[in-house]
Amino acid sequence: MEELDWVSIKSGLLDMARKRGAEVARIGDPALLEDAEPGLRPSELLTNVKSMIVLGGAAPRAAEWQSTRVEVMETVGTADRMTALGSAVARHIEETYGYYAMNVPTSTDQDDKAFLDFKAAAIAAGAGTASLAGPVLDPDHGFLYLTVILTTMPLPADGPLEQPACPAPQCIDMWEEQGTTPCMAVCPIDDGGCLGGEIDQGLVIKRRYDAERCRDRVYHYWTPGYQAALERALDEPDSRKRKMILYGSFFTRTMWSITYSGVSQGQCFECVRACPVGSKQRALQ
Amino acid sequence: MTAVEGEVEETDPGDLEVITNAIKQVGINAGSTLVGVAAADAFNEYVPEGHRPADFLPGAQSVVVCASLGPTNAAWHSPNRRLMEITGYDFRENVSSIVVAEYIEQTHGYLAMQAPALPTSGQQPPLSMMLSAVLAGLGTRSIAANIILNPTYGLMFFAAAITTMRLTPDHQLEENVCPARSCVRMYEMEGKTPCMAVCPADEGGCLDATIEDGQITSSFFDRERCSTRAMNFGIRGHIKQVEILTGIDDADERRELIYSDDFRRNMSSIGRYKESVSQCFECMRVCPVGRYRRKLQ
Repeated sequence: MEELDWVSIKSGLLDMARKRGAEVARIGDPALLEDAEPGLRPSELLTNVKSMIVLGGAAPRAAEWQSTRVEVMETVGTADRMTALGSAVARHIEETYGYYAMNVPTSTDQDDKAFLDFKAAAIAAGAGTASLAGPVLDPDHGFLYLTVILTTMPLPADGPLEQPACPAPQCIDMWEEQGTTPCMAVCPIDDGGCLGGEIDQGLVIKRRYDAERCRDRVYHYWTPGYQAALERALDEPDSRKRKMILYGSFFTRTMWSITYSGVSQGQCFECVRACPVGSKQRALQ
Repeated sequence: MTAVEGEVEETDPGDLEVITNAIKQVGINAGSTLVGVAAADAFNEYVPEGHRPADFLPGAQSVVVCASLGPTNAAWHSPNRRLMEITGYDFRENVSSIVVAEYIEQTHGYLAMQAPALPTSGQQPPLSMMLSAVLAGLGTRSIAANIILNPTYGLMFFAAAITTMRLTPDHQLEENVCPARSCVRMYEMEGKTPCMAVCPADEGGCLDATIEDGQITSSFFDRERCSTRAMNFGIRGHIKQVEILTGIDDADERRELIYSDDFRRNMSSIGRYKESVSQCFECMRVCPVGRYRRKLQ
C-alpha cells in the first residue's frame, strides 16, 4: 500500500478545522497521557490510538465580554460548535482515509468523571498551557473551548509549547507589586474565592484551587442548581412556598440552563475576564 | 398546490429527475450520508389519517428523507462501552433536512418543512421516520427492534422534509436487508440470529423471531423492555426518579437520591440530548449488515 504523506494530511486536516472555526489546531502524542490515572487514558477509549487532534475555539465574542449585562455571558457561552466541529473532523478522517477517529465526548462518564483529561491533551498538543485560573490558555487567544479527536492515524505531533502563557508579563509585574494577579485578585481563595498561588522568577510555583466552590458558582444554574432547588422544594412542608420555589425564577433558569446546556452551562467567567492573555482579541472598536 | 410567495419555478416533468438529484445533493452536502425521496401519498397505505405528510403540510407531494450514520466507527470499537452511551449521534440528518427544506423554498418556491418526528403523545411519532425511510428506499425493517437497516450501512438515523414540490420518488428496496445471509445460516444451525442471541426475549431480552426460507415469518420485540434499556438515562429515568422522590418522606434519603450519580446522569442525558440519546446498542453491535464498513485501520 502506498505510504501516505502524513505531513500533508495533517496540514489539510488542521486547515479544514481552522476554516470551520477552530482558532487553534494542533496534534498531540497520546502516549504522553498514558500515565494518567486509569479511566483517563486515550488507549482506553481507542485501541491503537496514534494521535490526538486538539481544537480550540468558540470563545465568547469580544462584544459579549464587553456587555454591561452579566446575563449575556451566562446564556451564550458555548462549546457546541467545537463538539460539532470535532465530530465532522472525526467523520472526515474515517470516510476519507479509512482510519478510526472519534470526537471524545465532553459529557462525563460514571461518577461525573471525564472520559479524557482535556487540559492535559491540550497541553500535550501545544494548544495552550496551564494557568493559575484553571483553563488552558492559548498565548494568542487566551481561553478557548476545546475538543479532542482521537485517531489511529499516525500524524506528526506538534508537542507542548515551550513558553507558558501564564503568568503573563503584566501578571508578574502585579505579583511583584501587590502579591497577587488579576485572576487571584478577582477571586481570592482566602477571601471567599477559588484561586490562590505563588509566582517565583516569573513562574507559577504553587497553585491553590477550590474546585467545589468554583463549581457552585460556575454551574450556579444547570444540573447542580436544579438538584439544590429540587431538594429545597421537596423539603418544604408548606405547599404555597413549595409552589413559589418550583415556579420561581431560579428553578426556571435551572431548567433553561439544562435544556440549553450547549449554550448555557457556565455562569462565572470572572477569572478569565480579568486575564490579560488573549485580551487583545477582546479589544475592538 | 400551495406555493410560497415569490417567483415559483414550474417543474418540467422531464427535468424532475435532475431536480430531484440536485436536491439530494444539497442534503448530502449538508451532512447526510444518503438522501431518498418518497411520494407523500405512499404513506396512505400504511398509516392512518393524522400521520400522513398531508396532515402536516396540506398539498404535500414528496418527502425527502435524509439519512446519516450515528457514532463513528471508532466509537463502535471503543473498549469503553460507556462511551457509546453518551456519543449517540450528532443530529446531522436533522440539520440536513432543514437545509433541504430551505433550499426547496428558496430555490424552487414550493413549501417545505422539517417533518415532525418526536413523539407528541405516547410513543407514536407524528410522522414515522422509519416508514419514511422504507418508502424512500433507504432500508427495510429488521428483527432487531424493527430498526431500519440500510443494505450498505446498516443502522442509520433519519430525518425528513415534507414539501409541496413533486419530485421523482425512489423505489422501495425489493429485497429485505434482514436477515443477512450469515444470520440465516446461524438461525438454521442454532435457531437464533446474532441479535436474538445477544438479547433473547425468553431470557430477559427484547428480541425473538422465526425465519423460513431466508425470510422473517414472525418477529417479536418487547418495546417497553427495550426502551428502559436503550433509554436508561434521560427523560424517562428522570420522571421515574421524581416519582420516587415524591414518595420518600425522609429528607436524608431524598437528598441521597437527588445527589446520586444516577440522578446526575439522567440530568446530563436530558441536557446533552444530542450526545446521549440511548445507552444500549448491543443488537446493532452484533448485526452483520454494514459491519464490514466499520472495520478500518
